[in-house]
Amino acid sequence: MTRGIGEDGRTLAQMLEATRARTGETGCYAGIMEPKLLTGDPVRAELYHSRLMAALIAGRETTRMISGSPFVREVAELAIGLYTPEGDSIAQSVGIQVHIRCMGEVIQWMIEHDYEEKVGIADGDLFWCNDPTVAGMHPADVYDLLPIFVEGELVAWVCTVIMEMDIGAVSPGCMPTANVERSTDGMRFTAEKVGSDDMLRHDIELKVRYGLDMADMFLLDRKGAIAANIRVREEIRRIIEEFGLDWFRCANRELIEEERRNQIARLRQRTVPGRYRNVVPLEYYMADQPVTWLPAKKDHIRIVPIEMRIETAGRVVLDFEGAGSWGWHPFNATPSGMWGGLAFTLVQTIAYDGRANLGSLLPFEIRLPEGSVLNPPDVRPLATASIWAPVIDIYSLWCGMVSGAYYMRGFREEMFTYRGGCGLQMAGYDQYGTKRPLLAAPTGNFGAGARGTGDGLDAGGTLITAEVDLGNVEIWECFMPYMDLGRRFEPWSVGWGRFRSGASIPTTALLHRSTETIVAGVVGSAAEFILPNVGLCGGYPGGKRFTVILRDTDAAERAASGLPLVHEIGHPAAPAYETNIRAEVHTPHHLPPPMEVHDGDILLVSVGSPGGFGDPLERAPEAVTADLDDGLATPEIADGIYGVHAQFDDGAKCWVANDEATAETRAQRRSARLERAEPVSEWWRRSRARILDGEIHPMLAEAYADSIESSEVFAAEYRGFWGLPDDFRPGVGA
Amino acid sequence: MTVSKADLGDLFDGKLPWDRTKAIVSGPKDDGRFQVALEVLQERVSWPERILLPLSEHLYVVEKTGEWAGERIVKCDCGYEFGDWRRNWKLSAAVIVRDDAESLEEIYPGLRRPDPELCEVREFICPGCGVLLKVETVPVGYPIIFDVLPDLDAFYQDWLRAPLSDTQACEDRTFEIIEEWAQGGPTPHGRPA
Repeated sequence: MTRGIGEDGRTLAQMLEATRARTGETGCYAGIMEPKLLTGDPVRAELYHSRLMAALIAGRETTRMISGSPFVREVAELAIGLYTPEGDSIAQSVGIQVHIRCMGEVIQWMIEHDYEEKVGIADGDLFWCNDPTVAGMHPADVYDLLPIFVEGELVAWVCTVIMEMDIGAVSPGCMPTANVERSTDGMRFTAEKVGSDDMLRHDIELKVRYGLDMADMFLLDRKGAIAANIRVREEIRRIIEEFGLDWFRCANRELIEEERRNQIARLRQRTVPGRYRNVVPLEYYMADQPVTWLPAKKDHIRIVPIEMRIETAGRVVLDFEGAGSWGWHPFNATPSGMWGGLAFTLVQTIAYDGRANLGSLLPFEIRLPEGSVLNPPDVRPLATASIWAPVIDIYSLWCGMVSGAYYMRGFREEMFTYRGGCGLQMAGYDQYGTKRPLLAAPTGNFGAGARGTGDGLDAGGTLITAEVDLGNVEIWECFMPYMDLGRRFEPWSVGWGRFRSGASIPTTALLHRSTETIVAGVVGSAAEFILPNVGLCGGYPGGKRFTVILRDTDAAERAASGLPLVHEIGHPAAPAYETNIRAEVHTPHHLPPPMEVHDGDILLVSVGSPGGFGDPLERAPEAVTADLDDGLATPEIADGIYGVHAQFDDGAKCWVANDEATAETRAQRRSARLERAEPVSEWWRRSRARILDGEIHPMLAEAYADSIESSEVFAAEYRGFWGLPDDFRPGVGA
Repeated sequence: MTVSKADLGDLFDGKLPWDRTKAIVSGPKDDGRFQVALEVLQERVSWPERILLPLSEHLYVVEKTGEWAGERIVKCDCGYEFGDWRRNWKLSAAVIVRDDAESLEEIYPGLRRPDPELCEVREFICPGCGVLLKVETVPVGYPIIFDVLPDLDAFYQDWLRAPLSDTQACEDRTFEIIEEWAQGGPTPHGRPA
């Protein structure tokens, strides 16, 4: 038998099998019943972990210095992780940590597909993967994988992920929506060996140069990633020299087991066992998409119930029983994507002490019904450009469920929700004459959900990257044929509450020096006309997100005359563009099919913020006047939503609340609520009659019927709640 | 880090200065937090029942005494009682359902308004005091969500090592209310303070 490249001459497949078996038998990672090495010398253990983290973070910064992409340099859409030989995550940098587990899955896929024997894994080999049918979130996220050898033994892997602006996908590229078959996803590297001796293969470089509009950007990112990986590899070799190979092997596994135990301890300390529920609606408007696979041209909704069960042993089950069925669109999730979503949510809600690794996930079980929109039977024929969309929606609501547990346990400062968003991406000729995808990805335009102890961060709410950042206007303008007209907080984006959510910043972009340009949707959330259920303890979710495209404007004439353009949204019922500009106004849903746009056209996108916390009538009047002072509320909001009487003090140049009038108004509003409200039983009877009569939107009737057909459990819940016959199936005019 | 009762009260009220709030956010979590939170909250309510668990803003699972001894119910801090903790308290609340454009525009004007044919906004209100307890935004026709059914006895016995005086099976009993409604039974399920 051939000697393997792993520990003690074993193959990686043998190591993977053994680790899985020992973990399964004992419930402890790799059968480690006690992490003796780490607990025996905690100072040395801490030093060791710090060295690993320093190596990874330095590697990540190396990439940022080499890359030219604003995705990397401006908003840091990258991350880097260290893995055991069998692909289990040991430590990870900050950044887009959704990929940390996914990159490990790629390693395991390679092992399971005999790469050691049939492809070869040697010191200095370079591997790329961006194929979500193996693992990952979408093809635009490209993984660079590098094995680390010491004295002929593969002792670890280092992997870097970078999100690419261009992956050769059908227009508008990057994350297309008119994208229902895999061929439209763009260039795929299915865990491909692309180089050796730390050098990229010439033919691979040519493949990229002939396959991508933005080949230079892609290759520069790869150079950055390869350099980062090599830097980490060399530091790991130094660490091994200092600590010894046996220590390295043992400590890495103990770090995973230690984190598993810590995660259970955190869950037991900060949550309450029990059953938690929510529901995610997914809206897919595909009927107008210009696709040739005609079965895809269908608007439909899917329902995804979430049930979290925190068990007394500290195990957590996420059960998606009743999730609707998969479809021909790029917004199906995958098991890999769902684990990735859990990973990045955990590192920012529970496992945030810098020790996150595979151990953070081991107490969790995710149950994804086969054939559902979260677990299609075969992902390979499907487009995968927006696996993100349902994943973000699901984990944003899951944050609210965890917040409920934090609330009960008294850790209200840890409550948090966030919300995905959708926008516009363009394709066409840029201002330098190159045809390419034109996508900006500022992550700092989202407000964060309210905490249980204060308002959410304004423009600080993108959970997918820990360091949210809009980036510099001037840099984005270098890459895009447009000019930003404004960056202002939008008061009406807020989720109301005693503590409000953070406010969001809309995009207001004027096309400038563009030629032959199209605009279409980019989707980071599948919710559109149904608000996500992210209000906490009486707080409201932020309102609907929206997109406005202003075509054939008189912007040039107005600019020449020195008149204002559209610098903000204004009041959502009387938007600024209705008075500030003459234009053909389009307000499409979140999946607009491609549309031609020209110089002078204006693109407006405003995301909705997540949820507020508590009854808005209990918001401190001084917090409302502070919002008025800061432009984060208007007098209409102060009165209508918060019941606060405030007047502007011309002398003090600030808003002042009238506490007495406010208290009176709030008492009246509470009384008015009770007069307006009805017993739930009355509403239930009316709603039940509507359901029985089929007075329900056809897309919703179909969505409920789909979930009922998929799941007996869901069927029993649905029929049971509405007191319906056992054979009832929702339908129009049922 | 251990948080004092006074600081925790201020933290809950959003009145703790940011530097101390930040220290709590960034510091190690304290094992005794739950007990301190219970003390803070128990002092704030005017009724005598023991709070077993703060469920949401204004709502608590409490242990009844006297005539109703042994019952565990959901109770508002105003005194209104929503019934057995294993029945979704929302079914015993008052509700305003925003399911048309006009009512939705009051909260979400213009471009911010969801589609009333697809989405409804359910505001669950305490019948005793009119406070807004929960806003539920869901697809039209989705069953009312039972947000959380805590496993109270397991929590107290296995996690806090302080078992409650008796045990009650942690099972969803919401459908008992539905069955009563389906038979035209009584509509209010809570009881005033």
